[in-house]
Amino acid sequence: MAAVRTSSEVAFNRVAIVAVLVVTIIFLAPIYWIASTAFKPRNLATTIPPTVVFQPEISPFVKLFTKRSQLRTPPTPEEYAAAPWWERVVFDGGEKIVRDGKGEVQWSGYPNRFMNSLIIAITSTVLAVGMGTFTAYGFSRFKVKGEADLLFFILSTRMLPPVVVAIPMFLMYRAVGLNDSHIGLIILYTAFNLSFSVWLMKGFMDEIPKEYEEAALVDGYTRMEAFFKIVLPEAATGIAATAVFCFITAWNEYAFALIMTNRRAQTAPPFIPSQVGSGLPDWTVIAAGTFLFLLPVAIFTFLLRNHLLRGMSFGAIRK
Amino acid sequence: MTQIELRGVQKFFGAVQVIKDLNLKIADNEFIVLLGQSGCGKTTTLRAVAGLETIDEGDILIDGKPVQHLKAADRDIAMVFQSFSLYPHMSVYENIAFPLRATRKSKSEIDSEVRSVARTLQISDLLGKKPSALSGGDMQRVAIGRALVRRPKAMLMDEPIGALDAKLREEMRAEIKRLHIKQGSTTIYVTHDQIEAMSLADRIVIMHEGVLQQVGTPDEVYSRPANLFVAQFVGSPVMNVADAAVTEKASSASVTVGDAAAGFEFPNALLSKLNGHAGGQLALGIRPEGVLIRRDAADGFLPVETQIVEPLGSFDIVDLKVGSKMLRARTKSGFVSGPGEKVFARIDPTQAHFFDKASGKSLEVRL
Repeated sequence: MAAVRTSSEVAFNRVAIVAVLVVTIIFLAPIYWIASTAFKPRNLATTIPPTVVFQPEISPFVKLFTKRSQLRTPPTPEEYAAAPWWERVVFDGGEKIVRDGKGEVQWSGYPNRFMNSLIIAITSTVLAVGMGTFTAYGFSRFKVKGEADLLFFILSTRMLPPVVVAIPMFLMYRAVGLNDSHIGLIILYTAFNLSFSVWLMKGFMDEIPKEYEEAALVDGYTRMEAFFKIVLPEAATGIAATAVFCFITAWNEYAFALIMTNRRAQTAPPFIPSQVGSGLPDWTVIAAGTFLFLLPVAIFTFLLRNHLLRGMSFGAIRK
Repeated sequence: MTQIELRGVQKFFGAVQVIKDLNLKIADNEFIVLLGQSGCGKTTTLRAVAGLETIDEGDILIDGKPVQHLKAADRDIAMVFQSFSLYPHMSVYENIAFPLRATRKSKSEIDSEVRSVARTLQISDLLGKKPSALSGGDMQRVAIGRALVRRPKAMLMDEPIGALDAKLREEMRAEIKRLHIKQGSTTIYVTHDQIEAMSLADRIVIMHEGVLQQVGTPDEVYSRPANLFVAQFVGSPVMNVADAAVTEKASSASVTVGDAAAGFEFPNALLSKLNGHAGGQLALGIRPEGVLIRRDAADGFLPVETQIVEPLGSFDIVDLKVGSKMLRARTKSGFVSGPGEKVFARIDPTQAHFFDKASGKSLEVRL
């Protein structure tokens, strides 16, 4: 039987759709802004009113990855003709790409920072989710003395703003030589994410019937084998959801990365804004850096979206 | 050849003792059913045999060797769970092959054994499916297949058909029996359903509050219940149990139920067999089929009034008012037209059971 909707219900639905559209636009506008600026010519980046229709350019990305200097004199026609296409777009902007004595292109600091971000975020996510999964399994399946207190203690590590401990952490890290090191940030981000990972994974573990493992134990497997062959595949949804959250936290972290690192292990978040201060800010380059920085999280989340949605409705969040 | 023995097994959950000094011997190829209400310790006993639960005292022996310290994986036992416990991320084939993979058999051996079990259980066409695509009955067949494929020393079944609907339960019951006869492995089966227990078991083990009440063939536990609990737990409709007083009459004994004015006639031998229990603290147990009724008066029959008639198809259950007590009788379908009818009833002495009211134990009176 078809439900009959009153005119007020129809009107409410339309208002709701408009409201959702408005909210979506508000959320997507900054992302569009960053993405469009990343492809704009430099002179259109800061026009008032903003330029919406323009010929997209790749030059901000070329500039993002290379070291450049201002051209004192324009390149000769031979130099211009001999230059590859990506160097020409830099010439067009009144800059040139810096090369070393052997003529090799000098890279900017961005690729290294980007790699640092990837290494640190992926490693800390793997560690936090891995340790969180084991810990959650322990809490979920075995009688642990003082379980409630321990779980509260684990959660309590997130009860103060992390930046409060930044100065003591910096001093301790300096004392043990962990500042400006990959391993230093990996430990830090793993520690941040672990409590969250344990809590989230415990919810997912509790949802997996323990009869599955018991069946595997009786079928001739050890508990460890049962964990890897039965529990882990069943917990895939939870692991994926937890990994996305941990990865986003580690990937976007700014304050500690700014304080604890300066060059060798610096990640992209503190590096991108630092470019504003060097000479005249080229917003298109900063937007290109930010746009590329958004991609891994977007791709990671997109790939795991089905798990994430299921995780949202079946996992710890449901409780 | 697999014999299982439980010797003085005790199990505590905190301060609560869930298994109390359990002693039981299970012979090779025997189908044993642990029967009892929920919380009676039957599942804990099964899990202890499987190695999923530790015991606090006593020994569990398989073929004479203590196994209570062995892990579940090392006991060579298979188990079927009530919830089926099929691994959802694996296909039916992989589920059945899973126990064999633990034994490190070759791929071709595993394949032929999986297919042979699938043929036995008539699930060959389901091998490629995921458990979520199966019906309840097929899920249970796969679960049984997974248990059978390894040819374990013993099969443990924890209410394996409890989650199925009534019709399917009946079908699966017959299938389990057929499989047991064909495969002939020592089996321990847990259920709270006495019909399941009666139809499947070689011997039934009845448990109550962690204590073993009686072990016997289905006929033994039905016809000669060891105590009031067994008497009332086994059999449907439930056995009538009432306080009774026995008095001597000229050439017979009279058994008065509750506060009834007149007593039912019993042979004189009852008095000697009761051995002094006649004075009180006596409970009479009689199954509905042991309460005989007729329409006209006869020797030894007391006049009674029908109260409620429950037509159950092939027979009726009629409640008869005897004093302030109700006795349930089993009659031919339609024998009594309805409530308020005057009929005549007697108790068949050969089917009567007498229990000590204080201890609940049967006085083993057979007339």
